[in-house]
Amino acid sequence: MKNFKKNIALLSALALAGTMLAGCGGDTTTTDSGNAGGETTTKAADAAADTTAAADTGAAADDGAAADDGAAAAGGYEAAKTAGTGALTLPEGEGKVFNIYCWNEDFKNYVEKFYTAPAGVEFKWTVVPNEGGAYQTALDEALLNQESAAADDKVDLFLAEADYIIKYANTDLTQDVTKLGVENWGVGYDYTYNAATSTDGVLKGVSWQANPSMFIYRRSIAKDVLGTDDPDEVQAALSTWDKVDEVAQKAADKGYVMFASPLETYRTFANNSNVSYLNGDKFAPTEAFNNWVAQAEKYVENGWSKTYGLWADEKQALMGKDGNMMCCIGPAWYFNFCMGTAQEQTSGDWGICVGPQEHFWGGTWLLAATGSDNNAVIADLMNAFTANEDIMEKILTDAKEFPNNTNVVNKYASDDSYGLEFLGGQNHIKMMAECAKNITWDPALHTQYDQTFNETLPNSILEYLQGVCDKDTAMNNFYISLSEVAPQITHD
Amino acid sequence: MTYCNKIGETESDRTKQTVARVLSYVFLGFVTFLSLFPIVLLIINSTRSGDQLQMGFSLLPGSSFGKNFSAAIGASTIDLPHGLVNSFIVAACVCLVTTYFSAMTAYGIHVYDFRLKRAAFNFILVIMMIPTQISAVGFIKLVYSMNLRDNFLPLIIPAVASPAIFFYMKQYLESSLPMDVIEAARVDGSNEFATFNTIALPMMKPAIAVQLIFSFVASWNNFFTPALILTDAKKQTLPIMISKLRSMQLSGNSDLGQIYMVILISIIPVVIVYFFISKNIVEGVALGAVKG
Amino acid sequence: MRKSKIKSISYAKWGYIFILPFFLVYAVFSLYPMLTTFYYSFFENYNQGLTTVGPNFVGLNNYINLFKPNEGVFELLVYTKNTMIMWLLGAVPQFVFSLLLAVIFTSVRLKIKGQRFFKTVIYMPNLIMAAAYSMLFYVMFSEVGPVGMLCKTLISEDFVVFQSVGASRGVIAFINFLMWFGNTTIMLMAGIMGIDQSLFEAASIDGASGTQVFFKITLPLLSPIFVYVAITSLIGGLQMYDVPQIIGGTDGVPNRSTRTLIMWLNNVVTGKAKDYGKGGAISVLIFIITGVLSFIVYKNMVKEDKTLKASRRRKKNDLL
Repeated sequence: MKNFKKNIALLSALALAGTMLAGCGGDTTTTDSGNAGGETTTKAADAAADTTAAADTGAAADDGAAADDGAAAAGGYEAAKTAGTGALTLPEGEGKVFNIYCWNEDFKNYVEKFYTAPAGVEFKWTVVPNEGGAYQTALDEALLNQESAAADDKVDLFLAEADYIIKYANTDLTQDVTKLGVENWGVGYDYTYNAATSTDGVLKGVSWQANPSMFIYRRSIAKDVLGTDDPDEVQAALSTWDKVDEVAQKAADKGYVMFASPLETYRTFANNSNVSYLNGDKFAPTEAFNNWVAQAEKYVENGWSKTYGLWADEKQALMGKDGNMMCCIGPAWYFNFCMGTAQEQTSGDWGICVGPQEHFWGGTWLLAATGSDNNAVIADLMNAFTANEDIMEKILTDAKEFPNNTNVVNKYASDDSYGLEFLGGQNHIKMMAECAKNITWDPALHTQYDQTFNETLPNSILEYLQGVCDKDTAMNNFYISLSEVAPQITHD
Repeated sequence: MTYCNKIGETESDRTKQTVARVLSYVFLGFVTFLSLFPIVLLIINSTRSGDQLQMGFSLLPGSSFGKNFSAAIGASTIDLPHGLVNSFIVAACVCLVTTYFSAMTAYGIHVYDFRLKRAAFNFILVIMMIPTQISAVGFIKLVYSMNLRDNFLPLIIPAVASPAIFFYMKQYLESSLPMDVIEAARVDGSNEFATFNTIALPMMKPAIAVQLIFSFVASWNNFFTPALILTDAKKQTLPIMISKLRSMQLSGNSDLGQIYMVILISIIPVVIVYFFISKNIVEGVALGAVKG
Repeated sequence: MRKSKIKSISYAKWGYIFILPFFLVYAVFSLYPMLTTFYYSFFENYNQGLTTVGPNFVGLNNYINLFKPNEGVFELLVYTKNTMIMWLLGAVPQFVFSLLLAVIFTSVRLKIKGQRFFKTVIYMPNLIMAAAYSMLFYVMFSEVGPVGMLCKTLISEDFVVFQSVGASRGVIAFINFLMWFGNTTIMLMAGIMGIDQSLFEAASIDGASGTQVFFKITLPLLSPIFVYVAITSLIGGLQMYDVPQIIGGTDGVPNRSTRTLIMWLNNVVTGKAKDYGKGGAISVLIFIITGVLSFIVYKNMVKEDKTLKASRRRKKNDLL
């Protein structure tokens, strides 16, 4: 009997262990974590290059834009302006469910707040976070299965970032939006149209925002270090990288840090590169990248920069009332959405200036999926978020973004009474408008793997800068990641 | 035992024993602290605002519980009320399906003699150890080809085949289901299914209770498989929602207070249920021994 | 015995009917996907952006590549090593703590009060989402967290937990330890309670000390279950994924030192390239590694099963 008891106890324990094991296997609750921030990005604008507006995509409809559906078709810009007011009546045969894929809430909020949907259409949002490439994975899966999907499950519209828009724009999975009644109405920034144009010249999408990226500085620290917080004077002190170095040294002498992350300046360098990382299927570090690494090494070594990740929580602490970070770099979406602690604690103590090199960072485009049964709504939505000046004005005043509509931008840029409380009343639109004009988009500089180049690569280097590994190991780590993203790419 | 203690016990033995007891309690106190601290921390964090959390750590509760709560319930990225309902539906179905069919399979192998009995049993033992993750590729393809994406069925149906739970049930049957009972039922003219449902199942109650709880919790916490097939925000379960919020937060896009609140809301049902039935879980392991 | 055998023959079909759902569902939802996965391991099949390369049959190429260094790194070895180190770091204290607790709980001499409470509490971490746990610990050990700051004070101003290989692995191991020691305790307790009480009584009469009893009786008699617990824990360890994924990110920072086998597989298969060929090959290798270990466990269990059968027979005889 005793023996029996023992065996039973043993076996039930074993059984329990088995169950536990199963629990453990199945119980993989997790989030992708890590450093890569899923924000938008883009290559860009050589400050010097002054390709002014007037693009090949052209203003107004020149080629049969009079699409069969879409309220905005015939009347050009004037007609497009009324998009998004709910005036559109759904044509026969249009689907009732409008499916949108995106990776965060920004656009969803704008649609819910500013856009009046045509009667009878239900918007269905699929939000997949960007982290670890999850968004593109889900989107690809959906797009590739578009044909077999039920009408109400087909993707109608999806959002894409500058770092990979080319991947979608260059395929048949996206529609020529001019055929739907959407154009470059001549009021948006040209680069936003070029970015969404396929290599064979077809416009595949539009954007509601332009993203000139700025030096965002803490006014009280600037006063202490430079004796002034006036944007023009601060700009004078930061107009070249050498001068930035000097200011960084001065700031360090007073116990401040110039940046929280050595990745802060990465986009400025990468964006001003005149070559791509990729030549065919071969990867090579660019000169701009090497310059950035050299600068980052210097900043870390001298204590001018902390070694946090670009999106680290620790960075938020440095923007708080006891924080000692002098600068960060980013467009309007950055200070509106990514500086939470600053918004709460140090609002009004920030200012912006151009810095040593103009550049842009990020951008979100709306693309029309092939196979959609809601083309009229696509056109309405796209026109609403480019041409409808009421909506674009709300994007500026309410959402505090920089809208992709020069009529609206110019109105506020010339209004001296307009200013942002967060920036101590500074009229950021005015300053950004100057930069936005200069942004260019050269398709030759962009690849569908830019997200990996612009996020994984600097994040690998960050480990080297943190002293975790040497530079070669950091590069090798990146190459391994690259081989998981694009097995076909080689390098020296 | 007692009398020999009395005889052999000396002064120094007694001191030793007291020291040992004190040390044991200290040790137990320590592991209790280890086990409870994260949960206490979670509760504290759920009362602090996102900015306070980002600024650093504190053991002092904040005053943002209400704010975080409404942010969690009203979050636009996720649909928490739906998440709770979805998680509950899936976990409830999974635990019912998995316990019932595991018991049934175990009963089939335990009670009947058939040619492939041994082979079937060995087969299940072998597959018990295979990590689910290694079939992910094929599983996604299968679910998509069956058009069962955003459907709870691919989460619930596979629960029919749970080798580990089967094994537990089998061992329990070995110890507590005498064949005589079955044969008596047969003599009474009960058909085999009825015998299983009305006689065997009730006798397996303690084991079933334990497995209901385990499988419910495992399903409630499961992320891997649901994440592969649930893309519609209204269909997603809690772990996916937490993962989404976490991803947003990593790109500087979210509110930590809200995240902790969502985690708290997600684990509270499990913890409450656990405290009510912890007796069963902790003692479930000794079931066989008690019966023997 | 013979009578029941004759009877059960006529019921054989019921056996098949009862186990049919299990095998049917397993075949469709587990076996078939697994075989599909393995099938892909012989093909080149991945995405270049939105275009899919393959599937082209490449024979054993995917396997050969896995046994070659990638960028100077023999990934299979590195990730297996990472996984095993983190498992060991967690499992050793887990076993020590669990053994100690199991002995304390089952000790007649100590007569611990409030056992129910302690057991309930130490088991609880096992019920909570690993993701939730990991996030809490990440915050605690981060540079602005209490432990992170303490480390800075104690070790050096420049010390950052998640930039140190040892410390990062340590945190992951610690979380795993915390989640599983309660579970192991309960299993070991059951093992100890299964030991014939008369042995303890005899030892006590002979005047054996507590330590002697522990090393001469408890430990040797506990060894079968201990082996079982260790091996299942090892297999669980091989599947380690969720905790390191949160702590170290997809790439397993710092310097890929916290990347486990399953994280690797997951990244290859569900990442942008969706490299089903390589992923399939990795799956097969993990399957083989697990298979070998399962075999050991299986052997172990079958042995136990036989003793159980024997004792059942004995029990029946007792009743007769």
